[in-house]
Amino acid sequence: MLDYISMAFVVAVKVFKKTTPNGKVTVYLGKRDFIDHMDYCDPVDGVVVVDTEYLKGRKVYSQLVTTYRYGREEDEVMGVKFSKEMVIGQDQVVPMINSKMELTPVQEKLLKKLGPNAYPFTFIFPEMAPSSVTLQPAEEDQGKPMGVEYCVRTYVAENEDQKSHKRSSVTLAIKKLQHAPASRGRRLPSSLVSKGFTFSNGKINLEVTLDREIYYHGEKIAANVIVSNNSRKSVRNIRCMVIQHVEITMINSQFSRHVASLESREGCPITPGASLSKTFYLIPLARTNKDIRGVALDGHLKEDDVNLASSTLVSEGKCPADAIGIVVSYSIRVKLNCGTLGGELVTDVPFKLLHPTEGTIERQRFNAMKKMQSIERHRYENSLYVNEEEDNIVFEDFARLRMNEPQ
Amino acid sequence: MANNSDEEIRPMAYPLKMISKEVVEHMLGWNIPEEHQDLVHEHWRSFPAVSKYWHYCLALIYMMLMITSLTGNGIVIWIFGTSKSLRSASNMFVINLAVFDLMMMLEMPLLIVNSFYQRLVGYQLGCDIYAVLGALSGIGGAITNAVIAFDRYKTISCPLDGRINRIQAGLLIAFTWFWALPFTILPALKIWGRFVPEGFLTTCSFDYFSDDQDTKVFVACIFVWSYCIPMTLICYFYSQLFGAVRLHERMLQEQAKKMNVKSLAANKEDANRSVEIRIAKVAFTIFFLFVCAWTPYAFVAMTGAFGDRNLLTPVATMIPAVCCKVVSCIDPWVYAINHPRYRAELQKRLPWLGVREQDPDSVSTTTSVVTTQSQAQPTTEA
Repeated sequence: MLDYISMAFVVAVKVFKKTTPNGKVTVYLGKRDFIDHMDYCDPVDGVVVVDTEYLKGRKVYSQLVTTYRYGREEDEVMGVKFSKEMVIGQDQVVPMINSKMELTPVQEKLLKKLGPNAYPFTFIFPEMAPSSVTLQPAEEDQGKPMGVEYCVRTYVAENEDQKSHKRSSVTLAIKKLQHAPASRGRRLPSSLVSKGFTFSNGKINLEVTLDREIYYHGEKIAANVIVSNNSRKSVRNIRCMVIQHVEITMINSQFSRHVASLESREGCPITPGASLSKTFYLIPLARTNKDIRGVALDGHLKEDDVNLASSTLVSEGKCPADAIGIVVSYSIRVKLNCGTLGGELVTDVPFKLLHPTEGTIERQRFNAMKKMQSIERHRYENSLYVNEEEDNIVFEDFARLRMNEPQ
Repeated sequence: MANNSDEEIRPMAYPLKMISKEVVEHMLGWNIPEEHQDLVHEHWRSFPAVSKYWHYCLALIYMMLMITSLTGNGIVIWIFGTSKSLRSASNMFVINLAVFDLMMMLEMPLLIVNSFYQRLVGYQLGCDIYAVLGALSGIGGAITNAVIAFDRYKTISCPLDGRINRIQAGLLIAFTWFWALPFTILPALKIWGRFVPEGFLTTCSFDYFSDDQDTKVFVACIFVWSYCIPMTLICYFYSQLFGAVRLHERMLQEQAKKMNVKSLAANKEDANRSVEIRIAKVAFTIFFLFVCAWTPYAFVAMTGAFGDRNLLTPVATMIPAVCCKVVSCIDPWVYAINHPRYRAELQKRLPWLGVREQDPDSVSTTTSVVTTQSQAQPTTEA
């Protein structure tokens, strides 16, 4: 109880709500971001409030739906649809089937506050469910962006199979994300390659070592590059870039995008016999890649919430090839240019880019930074919140993102 | 007396005399002056001149085709050309096809005039103009069909970056024109092959009757160039496309299975299986139309050059010309009406047309709907 009071005291619990167009059914969700902690995933917990007189014996159903979009809407010809919708969870909410279901703290609180017409629902993500990812559309692209999306759809119907009506159904966009494990790991990823030449003796050696295995979004990546030239060629320049690898498993295709890059001639040319040790710093950011089509971003529900897609993590005992949806990975690529005849010496060092997990010091620092960024914004947005102060629950309308409406 | 009896027998031999007297007295090509007689091949002279009613009938058919083609292709060019949402590289091909089809339509007024004169107007020049329009639009249209198949295959098999960009599309369109050019220019300049009147001697096409080696090689080449190659490409690309769609469906199903999803649908109302069937239906319609349009022509030309010429009566040789013109009128319905954005735009600009184009899928399904309705009607009345 003490815990409860202190929580309410410190910070108001923000709750998201959205109502059907006819105003009879309202859905409340405690949050919109659901974190996959690898060993378990946050359940989608919500509450539906319904006007019982309106139902007249009909039932309220809720679904957890994921939508894959793997091609542009405007390219759909011959009746092919480049999107697939999968209902990964379905439940009858009103009348309640399982009255003894376990409630989450948010549900308990909401039920207490919203009265007898409130009914809880809980969905568990399937073990393999992919993370929310959006592929950045090009400026001229119309329609919905490609990627993996999730939403909770609630509708009124006579039975499960009956089609829902637009006026009595409501869809809330949510997202599923992965956070970094608590420990960042001790291993330092590195790669050592060498290159010989056809018509001359000796080799050029290249060693690249990163200062971490897991980086958080916005962090500086330090790549330590050591070049030792035992050949008769010289190295003209060094290019270092962060590459995002995106695999669209649903259509078995993949591509890469350079999300940060840097070219250096410092210490160059590296003449025969010479060597160089240098550290390159790179920061891959979403905002510096705004105009590149296809860059994978974490699913985002607000304009200002954008960051590059987090690396896809696969839980222990699962093969990375089993991952579904859109699989994202990162690597640092270092390229030595050995002149027109010498060709290039290239190596890739993989790393992971993630959000810090809740409860760690890094997370707090990250949150504080984010809060500072958004303080100004909130000052202007405060008018948007429906603030029902007495219970310290802030209701935020979902109206900012209506998925099913024509744009 | 002998003369008299002779005259009395003739109506029995030529029943057409009952309709028009002059028909019987002339053979085909009688009304072409001496200096242009070399245009008409011997073969045609062995047939009696065609009744003027045949001419009028053909003119009427062409008149209807002209109006249909002008409306259909005209609207396609107008809407695809002027609405922003339709300005994509893929749609440039649809416009290109409509341009070729409209060019084929330009032949029709020439034929209508010719039909009323019952001979070619303008002789060699008129013949060349007619045939150039026909050859350019026919061969160009055929290869554009193949290019559209290629474009669709690219966009559907790799939806991420397979799409052809504007520059590539422009090059492909230029390619379709260059593809059509050799068999248009060479006969027109009489370098290789030539254009001559055919059938009722009111239409013109390339010469497939002359007995020299040159003509035979020409016919064989044009057969491969404008019939075999485009048809092979169309078959190849649509079968590849079908394979790609099936692969995608299967992969999505596998993913769905991993998440324990029972139903998998693009939309709530779509049954899952129908995607492949729908694709197959559209692809087959397009292939079938191509076959309908060009097989008769290919058959006539090959028969003329290598087969039994007695099969090629004037009426029989007019059928292929009508076939390919009918298909040029259907093209906009097949390519454009399938396009959801085009339909939306059409609905917006010409709301009075909207009722007619409810079925998006293909011509074949539209007709099947119509037949079931007509079957249903008597029962309701009864």
